[in-house]
Amino acid sequence: MRYVSPYDPGARTPVTPAPRPDALAGRTVALLDISKNRGAEFLDRVERNLRDRGAAVERFAKPLFSRPAAGELIERIAARADVAVEGLAD
Amino acid sequence: MPPVADMPAPGFTLPSTTGAPVGLSELLAGGPAVVMFVTDDCPTCELTLRRLGAVGADVTVVCEAPPAAASRLAARTGFGGRMLSEPAPYDTSRAYGLDAVPTTIAIAPGGVVAGTVVGWDAAALSALVGLDLGPEPPARKPGCAAKSTYDAAQLAADGGTGDDDPEAMFELGWTDGLPTIAPTPERVAAMLAGRDPAASLGPVAPGMGEATLERVAACAVLAGCRPGHFPIVEAAVRAMLEPAFNLHGQAVTTQPAGQIAVVNGPIRRSAGLNAGMGALGPGARANATIGRALRLVVALTGEGMPGRLDRSTLGQPGKVGTCLAEDEERSPWPPLHTERGLDADQSAVTLLAGDAPLSISEHRSRTPEELAAALGWAAATLWAPNWWPIGAATLFVICPEHADTLAVGGWSKDDVRRAIWEAVQRPAGELRHGEFTARVANAPDAELVPKWDAPGDILLVVAGGEAGRFSAVFGPCVGMDWIPITQEVRCDT
Repeated sequence: MRYVSPYDPGARTPVTPAPRPDALAGRTVALLDISKNRGAEFLDRVERNLRDRGAAVERFAKPLFSRPAAGELIERIAARADVAVEGLAD
Repeated sequence: MPPVADMPAPGFTLPSTTGAPVGLSELLAGGPAVVMFVTDDCPTCELTLRRLGAVGADVTVVCEAPPAAASRLAARTGFGGRMLSEPAPYDTSRAYGLDAVPTTIAIAPGGVVAGTVVGWDAAALSALVGLDLGPEPPARKPGCAAKSTYDAAQLAADGGTGDDDPEAMFELGWTDGLPTIAPTPERVAAMLAGRDPAASLGPVAPGMGEATLERVAACAVLAGCRPGHFPIVEAAVRAMLEPAFNLHGQAVTTQPAGQIAVVNGPIRRSAGLNAGMGALGPGARANATIGRALRLVVALTGEGMPGRLDRSTLGQPGKVGTCLAEDEERSPWPPLHTERGLDADQSAVTLLAGDAPLSISEHRSRTPEELAAALGWAAATLWAPNWWPIGAATLFVICPEHADTLAVGGWSKDDVRRAIWEAVQRPAGELRHGEFTARVANAPDAELVPKWDAPGDILLVVAGGEAGRFSAVFGPCVGMDWIPITQEVRCDT
């Protein structure tokens, strides 16, 4: 096709998620609070449920919900946890 | 002349409408093949495709049109067989020496022509494809000129390259729902006017596609901009990509906010922007297309397409594009860009994040105090009725008659801002309903809370027709940590 594309093909490469673990017991789950209103309440409940299932939990937070997580934060989560859960709320 | 029996059939590889490219050698791998050349706007070709489709004839069609147009031809004729696309410059058609379409050619496995039929000839075609195409009239019908025979003037009359069909843009998804102009290399080059196509303005949130000038120009072409509009589009994209504007938050939010461009300076006139009657549209190409180009950069290059990464609950019609110009000549006050540090003879675009405009009718106020209060109270429910302060810059568009009333006695823009800010304040205790801010939650009941943190959060521009006392206010995008950004529009890059 002889059009000039408005898209950046480099930006369209999908990211492959890490393989899903078969169980959570004995694994570390990162809970990321994006700093939306009442997000912490939601994640508190998730944390209790995860601990009941034998998972270790580490909490992380973004300073502001409307901006993407910093690369450093993502790397820290990846280094310390097997699974990550992001909590959106309002 | 098309090839006749015993002549070699020229080889070709052409894109199929359903997938991968298809070559002649592949067609001949399983035995003899029948190849039929058609165009997408020839009644005889349509007749032939309908009749061949009705009997399920094993014919490979080469359509002198882009894939999208070829697909539509197949759909409207009910032809379910293999359809290949040959857009301009029609090299394959030319290699086959076509004069007219349809031209149907039987080719033996060795690549030698076994027979040729030009036009619709029921008996001859039945023999060629080995199926009875039925007795329905007509028995014969001449076809149309093959596009490969067109001269430059005919090609131009045909839409230049045949790539201009807005349907093709819809099929690619390069649209905001309205028809777009195909970004052909020629049009994009004209838009760039010598700028470096590879130069980048930065990644566009949320998908972080790189906004090369070439892609921005492609969006400007799609939007319908003229090259004279491009300096404004470029400056607006620069402003939009400033980190302090936080496009990411705006682009993915469930809020309805879009990006609002306010143009100041001499380029308003040369670009043909309308700052007068109907200044917020519709009607003026420059206003409509510049705002639209900006939004297409977000939706396409930035991947922020509504319903995909753009998660807006409702959206709003201004999100197709909002670009306005200040009527500096009619305004009693200095223009917006000079308040933001530029000189009056510079051109500039100021970008804000906001919703559709809310119209404010006010025909009774005769003093600046009364009118400022009316404008301010009309804006008091923006975002949410009890969300005070709103916490984001808010743009008022003041119509000329209102501007005259506000400027009586020499009021400056700052005076108007302060009057609006002072007028719209309520005791915290009255605001504790539904959704309210932490400031309202924590303040003593009697403490007055203003709708805006400070008068400086109120932006004023003058625009609109001479008659009528209708101003407008754009509800801002809230909670997204953005500030208005002003960029100079430079025409010499």
